[in-house]
Parts: sequence; structure tokens; C-alpha cells
Amino acid sequence: MLATALASALLLATPTAGLVAGGGDYATVPGGSFRSTLNYEDVVGNVDVAPFALMKRPVTNGEFLAFVKSNPQWQRGRVATVMAEPRYLSHWAGPTDLGQANPAQPVVQVSWFAASAYCEAQGARLPTWNEWEYAAAADETRRDARKDPVWRERILAWYSRPSNSALPRAGLQTPNVYGVQDLHGLVWEWTDDFSSLLVDADNRNQGDPDNARFCGAGALSMDDRDNYAVLMRVAMLSSLNAPDTTANLGFRCARDLP
Amino acid sequence: MTRPTRYLAAVLALAGLLLAGCDRDNASNAADTDTPRANASEGETGGSRKGDFGPPQGKPIDAVLTSPPLVPPATGRDYPAKVVVSLDVVEKVMPISEGVDYTFWTFGGTVPGSFIRVRQGDTVEFHLRNMPDSKMPHNIDLHGVTGPGGGATSSFTAPGHVTRFTFKALNAGLYVYHCATAPVGMHVANGMYGLILVEPPEGLPPVDKEYYVMQGDFYTTGKYREKGLQGFDMEKAIDEHPTYVLFNGSEGSLTGDKVLTANTGENVRLYVGNGGPNLVSSFHVIGEIFDKVWYEGGTKYQENVQTTLIPSGGAAMMEFHMEVPGSYVLVDHSLFRAFNKGALGILQASGPENKEIYSGLEVDAVYIGDRAQANMEAVTVAAESASTGDLTVEQQVKAGEALFLGTCSTCHQANGAGMEGVFPPLANSDYIAKDPSALPRVILHGLEGPVTVNGTDYNSIMPPMSQLTDDEVANISTYVLNSWGNPGGRVTKDEAAAIRKVKPANASAGH
Amino acid sequence: MNRLLIVLLAACTMLVAGLPVSAADTPPPRDSIYQLPVQLTDQAGGTYGWKTLRGKPRLVAMFYTSCQYICPLIVDSGKAIEKQLTPAERNRLGIVLISMDPARDDPAALKKVADQRKLDTARWTLASPKADDVRGVAGVLGIRYRALADGEFNHTSALVLVDAEGRILARTEQMGTRPDPEFVVAVKQALR
Repeated sequence: MLATALASALLLATPTAGLVAGGGDYATVPGGSFRSTLNYEDVVGNVDVAPFALMKRPVTNGEFLAFVKSNPQWQRGRVATVMAEPRYLSHWAGPTDLGQANPAQPVVQVSWFAASAYCEAQGARLPTWNEWEYAAAADETRRDARKDPVWRERILAWYSRPSNSALPRAGLQTPNVYGVQDLHGLVWEWTDDFSSLLVDADNRNQGDPDNARFCGAGALSMDDRDNYAVLMRVAMLSSLNAPDTTANLGFRCARDLP
Repeated sequence: MTRPTRYLAAVLALAGLLLAGCDRDNASNAADTDTPRANASEGETGGSRKGDFGPPQGKPIDAVLTSPPLVPPATGRDYPAKVVVSLDVVEKVMPISEGVDYTFWTFGGTVPGSFIRVRQGDTVEFHLRNMPDSKMPHNIDLHGVTGPGGGATSSFTAPGHVTRFTFKALNAGLYVYHCATAPVGMHVANGMYGLILVEPPEGLPPVDKEYYVMQGDFYTTGKYREKGLQGFDMEKAIDEHPTYVLFNGSEGSLTGDKVLTANTGENVRLYVGNGGPNLVSSFHVIGEIFDKVWYEGGTKYQENVQTTLIPSGGAAMMEFHMEVPGSYVLVDHSLFRAFNKGALGILQASGPENKEIYSGLEVDAVYIGDRAQANMEAVTVAAESASTGDLTVEQQVKAGEALFLGTCSTCHQANGAGMEGVFPPLANSDYIAKDPSALPRVILHGLEGPVTVNGTDYNSIMPPMSQLTDDEVANISTYVLNSWGNPGGRVTKDEAAAIRKVKPANASAGH
Repeated sequence: MNRLLIVLLAACTMLVAGLPVSAADTPPPRDSIYQLPVQLTDQAGGTYGWKTLRGKPRLVAMFYTSCQYICPLIVDSGKAIEKQLTPAERNRLGIVLISMDPARDDPAALKKVADQRKLDTARWTLASPKADDVRGVAGVLGIRYRALADGEFNHTSALVLVDAEGRILARTEQMGTRPDPEFVVAVKQALR
């Protein structure tokens, strides 16, 4: 029993077990103090985001294929079902065969566990919600474009695109001011702390804390009710559980900066 | 107060107000009539407190869901049952107007969503399935549910998932259901609403035809009828400036070959909802009076109503009896919505004429009288010239114009533009250009059946204007032929007389 | 030392090959929560992979020791379920409370709660995972949580019933001294 435990520890610690060659370009996002759209009762004022590195575009089918080839425990059909639901990678022809899926498209039908494992294999991690929101507030020229109705309309236009049209490839959009692309208008993206978005399933109850449901105060309300782009992201992430996958949900990785 | 309690309070308050009025009348008329009034001193239903008829009996029933404008059949039950409802959420692109597409979010693939019909006291096991290719999570709030969020708390469903919750329908009535995922206004504006009917325990009285109509306001980035795939415009929605106000999710959903149909002598019941998200509806059927309106979808009804208010997120039922054949136009009587934003539908009644109720078009003195004072002169001049034999085309045109304004313009408009989908245009008409003699023929004999004019299909009824004299027909035809880009020419009195004698195949049977 | 290395290498190879090291160490089934590699440190100071918990049905919940509001109710919920069971059934069931606050919930803190609430550690295990594993545990159990600025947590609460292999059989979010009757039925069935 001890041998097994030690062996497991050894396996996990060994970097050769799962490193993927290549695997995404990172952009540096300088830190800052930032007013999050999510207004938590226990957070006063701005949120401080430390500088971090963020992948320039979401992880693609091709990159994820390389990962599951080196990490067969993450292949469809072998993965633990508590970590990936039955639709995991269902758009691929086979566990290691993309079939019609384009290698340059962002990978979808991935669970939070799978996304986390991929990033870990990179020596990286999923971005936190704050990091994601901070990077996504930018447009091509400004760090914070959120008050601009044009910015909002562009984002909302994505929702009116029918979701059964083929996903464009990753990296098509103009980079934002940090050099990061595709934060909007391509796929939903996992964050490391998506399960911290404690949102009532009846989204109209914001600011009406059910103390028993979430154990105490700390209610969440939307600071800027006009920021529908963020509202919808929160609604989406709060509807998911860690093993879930959807046809429009992918991810990218982040790294701490030394 | 919870919503259902507030709702019930409002209905009872309104009923109370009406009862107060009725009692006053009753007191004074007590001697004249002993006809019981349905909305007078009848007992209360007791609301949700008296709505629980115990545990479900018998085998579970799979609910019959229908797509608009159809309504499921009456439950026909006299006991509470378990009813299983499976409703899919489908995000799909559909036309909102001709040549204009929109990405709708739907319950059951239609706007409005499927009609659900249960009986008071039923236990409803509700399965909400969000299709795997949906982008958004969705949930459902049914206004007939007593419980948190109307079910929204328990039905938040990610794409490719299904949720289930169970509720007992304690209150009878006609209720709206809609998606309540943030931002709620956007989900509703994209078409996520429908109706659930909770029948009273004794059921609703049988009628001949039941139809499902639901109004909604839509906000697109492009202008009204701007072609192509249109996106949702959040700013317009916040400002409450809709681009379209529609019945059943698209222009033409209830016109042309999709008109609602009925026969004379039939009782028609409409279940009408208003999904909003913003606008209140002033619902009216042109040419009919609602014999009964269950205002706000509640238990009591009002009688003899022309136009009824349907709140946003509310509904109403109305019944009326068809006496006379013809086209009855359903509108939101905030008229610019009907004629400039699409809030228009048609109920077509077929059957024999009943001239005692409605005679059809006679020469209506009011119309001609009002205007003719000023320019009856043109008609007189033309008549004089005709008798002396030197009637000119200009004189015919002037006389024809006066007559046209008095009679034809009510449908075809003073500028000959007609009404798209309903009354064909006369301006620059390819139908006339093809065969100018069709003009006096149609005026005299009317026209029924499908025609295509300037690329648009029409299938209405034009009644025969046989009450016009040969001169009048000749003058009107000449006016039309020489106006708005039509080919020109003239029609003489003799030609009109000859045409009157020959009835063509597509003549109208009359109004 | 050499012997240990050989055993380690053998274990490594066999794990990679997916072969069982021995009959007692067969990998858990694909739908078992123990597929997630989690190391627990319990109130007695013992550290082990949580798949050691295999072998008997368990009720699993998440909590933290300084939680004043609902976490006491979680303990009450576990006790309430136990009350519905016969002594024999009780002994066949294990109850595991996993902390979402490993930084502060060291063995001493965990033991304090066990003592305060008079929990029989033959049946109850209070344990902390590694800080990096908390999200994963919450993920397989369907728990959502958020650390507040003052060190408290907002979180959802659930009792998750797993079978001897770690497969989730039932789940309830009803906390308190009156147990969810349907959940109790599921527990009894698992203990047959």
C-alpha cells in the first residue's frame, strides 16, 4: 500500500510523464487594480490582479490531441467518468483520431478536469475568473473597453450567431491590447475557480442571499447590470459542473510570472 | 408577497372592482331580469388553498404538447393525475420576416413555445432538455407554478443536459412560461416564452375551434424588414424601441396560407399570451366582439369586449361566435405596431353570407359624402361630357380619382400601395401591366384565390363592386391605368358594360 | 533501500502499464471518485491516498472547522442518517468530512471538532486534502465554494453516498437533523 502511494507520488512528480512539446504561445498581461463586474459583499473596491501570462489563443484540437496521445489516461473511453462526462471529445472520430475536426479549431467538449490536466502538463494552470475578466475587458487599443456600447454589442453579436455553424479556427481575431486573441466571440472558456461563482440558479435573485444555501453572507450582485457580456459568462459557468463538457466550451492556460 | 400570491391578489382585486359595478346594476335591474351573470355573485375558487385535490391517481400521462397556433385537446379528466412534460430548448435560425432571419432561442423549436395543457391539481413532472448544440444555459419559470422562481431555481440547464423538477398546479388559469436565465430580458426577447393552461376542475366549455396566439416584441440591429441575418440589439431593448411586434414570432405567421380558419356558426376560443419582454398588448380582432374575455387568463370573465389589455408576461382567453364570413384581422390596437411592425394576423371565416348581420359593401354615403362635396364636381363634369360624347381621358382620370378615394383607397391606399401580404398594390403593378383589361373585370366581379403581384403572393378576397355603374367603373379604371407608373390607356363605359356580363372563373363569391 | 527502489520501479511500471499491482490494489472503476488522485491527512495525523477509503460505502461531505453556520449542520446531517440505521448498518458505513480549508484544518483542528461533536473515529474520518486538490475534490462531489476575504467560505453543502468502490449512488443537499427520506433509503440499500 505504501509502495503504491509512493509510486503514485513519483509518477505525478515526474515531469517526463506528460509534457507536451510546443503547446501555445503566451502573452504577458501586466497587473492592475480593476473593478470587477462581480460585486461580492466581502470585496471592497477594486480587485488586484498580479501580472500573469495568458495563452494568446485557446487550446486547439491539434494541441489537445498531442496531449492525450502522451497521456492516455485522458483519452476518450479511458478517462475516469467522474472527471469527464460521456460527451467528452465526442466531436473527434476516435480517441486519438480527429476525423473531421479541424486541428486549428479550439478544442471543445472538454471538462474542467481535462482542461486543468492539460495546463498542468504544460507547467501552467487555468486562469482565475479575475484574470480572465481582466484580460477580457480589453479591446484592440484599450485595457478597459467595458463602458463602450460598441464593445458590448460586438460581444452580444456572438450570441446571435447560430451555434450549429462550424467553429472558426483559433487565432483569427485581432489581438487585444495585451496581444491576446479570441477571448470573446469564439468559445466559452473554463476558469480555475469557476465553481466559486455562487450564483442562484434563478439568476433573478441576485443580491438576495439565501444564507443557508451558500453558508453565510458574501452575496454576489452584478455591479454593472448593463454588462450583459459578463452576465452571460457568469450564467454559463455557474450552470456547469467540473466533469461537464459542451460544444461551445474550451479553455486556455495561464502561468504565474516570476 | 410571492408572485402567485400577488397575481391572485390582483385578479381578486380586479374581480372585486367589477363585482362592485355589477352589483349596482343588479340592484337596479333586479326586477327586469333573472338571468344569472357569470361575474356577479358567484363563489370564489379559493385559489391555491383549495387547489390540491390529493395525490395523483392512475398511470402517469405523457403531456400532449402542440406547436402554435394549435392547442392540445382538453384533458377530459375529472381526477388529478401525474403528467410528464418534456420540453426541449432549441436555439435555431428562423425567418422573422420575409428575407429576414433571426437566431431565436425556443422552447420546443417554435416561438412561442409548445402549448402545455394540464388540469388543476395535476402533479407535473417537468423535464427541461437543453440541446447539446446550444450555446447558452437556460431554465424555465412557469407562472402557474407555486414555488421558488416558478421552477427557475430548479431547472438551470447547461447545454447537453436535462433537469427535472415536479410541481402541483394549484391554481387554474392561463399562464405564461418563459426562460429566466440572466440576462432575462434577452432570453425572452429571443423568443423564450409560451403558455401553459391549467384547466379548472370542471374543464372549459367545449368550443368548435381553439387557437394559440402569443405576442412578442423583437429588437434587431437592422431596421424593420432589413434583409439578412439580424442580431439582437440590447440598446433598443433597454430603450423599449422594438423593431418588430409580432404574433407567433414572425411576420406572416398568421396570414396567407397560415391564416386561422373557422366557419360561420362556430364558437372560437383564442388563448392569447404576451411574452413581452416590454410591451403591453391592446388585443383586438377587427370585425368581432369578444363575447367573453377571461381577462388576464383568470377564472372570471367579462362579456362584450372590443379590446382587451394583455400585460407583458400575461395572457387572456376570449371566446366569440362567428356570424359572418370574411377576414378578421387580429391586431395590437396600438396601431403603428400592427401596420408598421407586424402585429397583425388573420382569422378567416368561411360560410354563407348573413346580410342581416352584415350586408357587405354598399355604397357608404358617409365616405363619398364627406369628400365628394369638394370634388363631386369632377364626376359631374365627366357625366356631362359623357352625355355629349366628348369625355376626355383627363376628365375620366379626375372623376376616377374622386371615386377611387371614396371607395378603393380604404384597402389599396390612396397611393395604390396596398398592404403587403393582405391587399395587393395597384401602383406599378405587373398584374395590370400584363393585362389591363383585368382591371375593370376585377372591379366588377371581385377576385378570389392566389395571385402574385410585383413578386409577392396574395390570397385574400376582393369583393365585387357590382354596385358601381358602368361610368364609375370606366372612370376608376382609367384613373388607375394612368397613375403610379401603370401603362396608361382608358376604359369606356361600353367596355365596362360588356365586362359586367361575363363572370370569370376567379370571381369572388362576395363578402 | 535497494528493495524499496525495486518495489517502487515495479509499481511504477505496472501502474503505467495499467496492470494491477496486486489483487488488493486493482484500480478503481472509471466512475469512482477515487480515480482522482487525492492525498488526505486525517485527524489522527495519518496521510494516505483517499482511495484507501475503498472497501465500504461512505457518506462524503465537505466542510471546514471554523465554519459557524452550516458546517455544524453537516455533522448533524451525518448523525441524523446514522440514527436511521441499525447498529450493524452503522458499522458498515463510513462518514468522511473533507476540509476545504487545509491551510488551517491541520490534524489538531480536525481532532478538536471530532472531540467536540463526540464523533466515533472508527466510523468518522475528518481529513484535509492538499491545497491544490481541494478544487478537484469539490469537482467530483459537485460542491461549489469560495474563500472570503476574512478566511471564511461561502459554499454549497451536500452529502454524497458512494459505494465500496467509490461510485456515487445518491446525493442530497438537505442538511440538518431531519434527513432526506429518499436519501436514507439509498443509504440502507447500499448497506445491504
